[in-house]
Amino acid sequence: MSTPVLEARDVSMVFGGLKALQNVSLKLDEGKVVGLIGPNGAGKTTFFNCLTGLYTPTTGSVLLKGDVLPGDPAKVTTAGVARTFQNIRLFPSMTVLENVMVGRHVRMKQGPLASIFHGPGYQKGERAARERSAELLEFVNLPGIEEELARNLPYGDQRRLEIARALATDPAVLLLDEPTAGMNPQETEATRQLILAIRETGVSVVVIEHDIKFIFSLCDSVSVLVQGQLLVEGSPEVVRRDPRVIEAYLGKPPDEVEAEVQAMVEETRQHGDAAESTTVLPVVTDPKPEGEQA
Amino acid sequence: MSTLLQQLANGVVQGALIALIALGYTMVYGIIQLINFAHGEVFMVGAYGGLATYTWIVPESVKDVWYVSLPIVLVGGVAVSVAIALLMERFAYRPLRNAPRLAPLITALGVSVFLQEFVRNFYPNATAALPFPGVFVQGQLVIGPIRVGWSGILLIGVSVLLSIALQTYINRSRMGRAMRATAQDPDTAKLMGVNPDRVIVLTFVLGAALAGVAGVLFGTYLNNINTDMGFQTGIFAFTAAVLGGVGSIRGAVVGAFIIGLVKTLAGQYMPGGTQYDYVWIFVVLILVLVFRPQGLFGEPERVRA
Amino acid sequence: MSKLANTIKPFARPLAILGGVLLIVAALLPWVTFALNSGKYPDLATLQFFDAPFAVTGFRWHILLLGVLVLIAVFAPIPSKGRVVRSLGWGGLAVALINSIFITTEGGGLGAITAADGNAAFGGIVGIVAGIAVILGGTGIGIELPAKWKVKLSTPLAYLVLVVTFAAVLFAVAQTLTAGGQGGPANPYAGGLFLSFLGFAAGLLTALNGIGLIGWISELSEKHRVFSVVVLLACALLLPFTNAGSEYWMTVAANIGIYAATAIGLNIVVGLAGLLDLGYVAFMGIGAVVAANLSGAAASKVGIDLPFPIAAVIAAIIAGIFGAIVGSPTLRVRGDYLAIVTLAFGEIFTRSAQNNIGGLTNGANAIPGVPPLDLFGKEFNEPLNIGSVELPSGVLYYVLIVLLVAAVMAIFANLKFSRIGRAWIAIREDEDAARAMGIKTGKAKILAFLVGATLAGLAGAVFAHKNGTVSYESFKFLESVTLLAAVILGGMGSIPGAVLGASLLFVLPEKLREFSDYRLMIFGLALVLIMRFRPQGLVPDRHRRAELAGEDVGGVPVDEVHEHDTKGATA
Repeated sequence: MSTPVLEARDVSMVFGGLKALQNVSLKLDEGKVVGLIGPNGAGKTTFFNCLTGLYTPTTGSVLLKGDVLPGDPAKVTTAGVARTFQNIRLFPSMTVLENVMVGRHVRMKQGPLASIFHGPGYQKGERAARERSAELLEFVNLPGIEEELARNLPYGDQRRLEIARALATDPAVLLLDEPTAGMNPQETEATRQLILAIRETGVSVVVIEHDIKFIFSLCDSVSVLVQGQLLVEGSPEVVRRDPRVIEAYLGKPPDEVEAEVQAMVEETRQHGDAAESTTVLPVVTDPKPEGEQA
Repeated sequence: MSTLLQQLANGVVQGALIALIALGYTMVYGIIQLINFAHGEVFMVGAYGGLATYTWIVPESVKDVWYVSLPIVLVGGVAVSVAIALLMERFAYRPLRNAPRLAPLITALGVSVFLQEFVRNFYPNATAALPFPGVFVQGQLVIGPIRVGWSGILLIGVSVLLSIALQTYINRSRMGRAMRATAQDPDTAKLMGVNPDRVIVLTFVLGAALAGVAGVLFGTYLNNINTDMGFQTGIFAFTAAVLGGVGSIRGAVVGAFIIGLVKTLAGQYMPGGTQYDYVWIFVVLILVLVFRPQGLFGEPERVRA
Repeated sequence: MSKLANTIKPFARPLAILGGVLLIVAALLPWVTFALNSGKYPDLATLQFFDAPFAVTGFRWHILLLGVLVLIAVFAPIPSKGRVVRSLGWGGLAVALINSIFITTEGGGLGAITAADGNAAFGGIVGIVAGIAVILGGTGIGIELPAKWKVKLSTPLAYLVLVVTFAAVLFAVAQTLTAGGQGGPANPYAGGLFLSFLGFAAGLLTALNGIGLIGWISELSEKHRVFSVVVLLACALLLPFTNAGSEYWMTVAANIGIYAATAIGLNIVVGLAGLLDLGYVAFMGIGAVVAANLSGAAASKVGIDLPFPIAAVIAAIIAGIFGAIVGSPTLRVRGDYLAIVTLAFGEIFTRSAQNNIGGLTNGANAIPGVPPLDLFGKEFNEPLNIGSVELPSGVLYYVLIVLLVAAVMAIFANLKFSRIGRAWIAIREDEDAARAMGIKTGKAKILAFLVGATLAGLAGAVFAHKNGTVSYESFKFLESVTLLAAVILGGMGSIPGAVLGASLLFVLPEKLREFSDYRLMIFGLALVLIMRFRPQGLVPDRHRRAELAGEDVGGVPVDEVHEHDTKGATA
């Protein structure tokens, strides 16, 4: 078996006396989408913060293609792990294009002197970054609004811009924190298609969502986090039928969920209007990051 | 040896003064994450308020009776400090609650400069230092080689008492609980029915009252006030708050005594003398920020993502 | 505001017309009774306030012109009519109010602008009423965004427009600089006349902005960037040939230039990287001290006399090193603590310089006798002859400083639109997100400090030679506050803003000498008011120009995006 592209080994995180994460492990194989679900406060975002170096795990380690990642977000991004945030964090008074170009930062080389004097290599690098950024905006379906300020975009577009910005760092792994929070069913479906397209380009994805229907119809494998512990992991089919998951999280008989997922997949296939489908769980837009109130 | 003991005593008096001001910094920062540069001016304004009260309100006949005049002067100083703090909160800071971080910081700087210059221009003869009456028992307490003015002892006593009272209030009372809740998580506190405006106003009022007391007692101790004193002492107090861990009451008091001691000891023993006590305090500040940014009693800052 | 606008909507046009007519009437009325004898003016007869009825000179021309323009704006089919009318109204109100205040305070009380000795002089009051009427009328007509022109020009025509524009700018700058004449005891009304002119100019300019002209021209100049820069530079170098071409005005302009260059440097730290630096002027001081010590001045402790370019580079480098050191705590702490560290650093510098620590600053005696610059065999403080035209002394300094400002502007602009500049802005906007994008925030912030300090050190080196004396007095906390106020007044992150802010904040004290006691107080108040009502400054950064849409909705800073607010707002 080949080395997983991203691997978390027994990651634990303790805030004061609060055990936010206990020995959570995760393996992400290349070109796969892994879903991370769990109730509010289960430690999903905390886990993301550990993966991206924003937090240094109390114990355990995170490996990218077999190498241990350093506990520094900048270095982690450079190594090839990019993320989006649960509560969108764009650079509001920069333009859409500039937001994406900030994502190119680690893949550009101009140092301070080149930036001050705009030397010969400078224009070339700048143009390349601009072109790549425009391409990515096209890819996430945000063409023609390069000069808009990020703050003025509608909500769904801001989420997609955040994904474009993360992709601009040329990541091997993309971490998406509730990419469909606050979206209507059409937008959710568009996001699902976008994630599948991202997977097609060879980028592996980890996605946190509350909308389990979305997760089950998208992911190659699903991990369930409850109270800081990994409850179950496995293929959507396995997880969906696991009695512990049903009891701890879904609160519904598996057949019902199954039917709804099937219906959704069916609808997508027919390009039907997804507006009629009802969400299994209410989409929670929690304004506060979870697991941080010590 | 006797010099050292004397300087230690002086340092404790300085620390007591700084503590009263540092508490205001630490509380405001705890609640709204604002470095209120203007808090030093609240202290300065308190001193001038006290002086004005003494000059124009305290009747001539009781001016020398300290146990009558001191309470009146204290009330006057505190009233002026609190009034200024309320105006400042209402008209300068509150409209900027949701503005980017830099905005309230610049506003605080503007308020500080404005207050300082306003008093200098409009308080009679305030362009130079003004004498402040000694509205307390004159003379010194002598213990062996140490001599401390009674007003210094008063300063220490009041500072310790008020710190304990504040700590108790915040830990025990209903409003104190609301303050702590708001400091931890303003949004959740709001959902729980805490009115953030009231909490913030209360925070400013408490801080200003302490600063007002500090202003009057400082004048009584040194018998001399000027419009620059708020700015300088304010920076010392802020350093103390950072040293102790911003947001921690206990930290602010401990930090203040450390800063007081550093100031007097450095003034005595470091090259350059009192001219450079300032410099050493900043060295302490920078060392703390670099090696223990959360301060002695603070919690490490956690990134919100 | 919108409620008010709805109430006055039906009467908007008549109100504006009435206001315009009243402005014209005000210009024709006398403004001061002849019964003044208690005023402070040395020679009351010289006052232009004393014009008889119908003698329209000085500021009364401005009022008249504004009135006529209001009427034209109301009747002509122009875009953004409400905005234009309102701007003109503000101009009229400013001129009327400023002159009325000056007449009352300096010229003998309220009697001077009403009726005393049976002589009526209601010009001021009519003017104020007219100004308010026009503002209300404009608001009632409806405030739209500044118009956008779609006119495309062929290149030669565009060049012509740009040349004419910049020539007009040159004329306006010369007029503004010299308006009211040299301030001081001999000319106590310089301040009033200057402020009045400023009000007039601001009203006119905002009206031109509303009609779309300024936006169009700035777009044009962005398109022909190189040409514009060359013409602008040429215009700046032509200033000595205008009526500002005397030794005094050249010195004022050179001083403005030095502070403008420093303010642009500060703008990198504050405007781009979003770090509050409260001790910035100390870096300028370090540059000045180093340059003075390397200049061969008698009081310098280093007995070497280096050529200016080398000394200036050394000064800049040393200042830059200090900048990096002061910025280094950012590796561990977040933004606002740094403000205190910089403040502390500034104070340490002032104290050390005052007490002559290290023996380099000569303490309270300062370092006098820094020799004037001497490049290419020409002493910089001598007059300059070009053919038969003799230019006043100080011109060469002026030229040098114009080049310095141009260089600093170029550096700023290049940095802003580069990988590094984007990283700074990202840090300013959201530090955690910036780190998640792979930006090494600590290094980037130190770099901002380093670059800013280097530029300040360079400006300091020029300052040392130009002033001839380097004293710690020039580099105190209040100078840092003034520079910060200049950056914020002009608009954080904006280059023309920094120049405009520096110009205003260093010209005003020259003109308003009699108010020098209140200078800092007014700066403090200005910081508070700007942050409250116009946080984007006078000339907002292009990034923030779009936010101007929010300007009339209540002036609340719109920097914080709340997720749900943005859902429907695509205005």
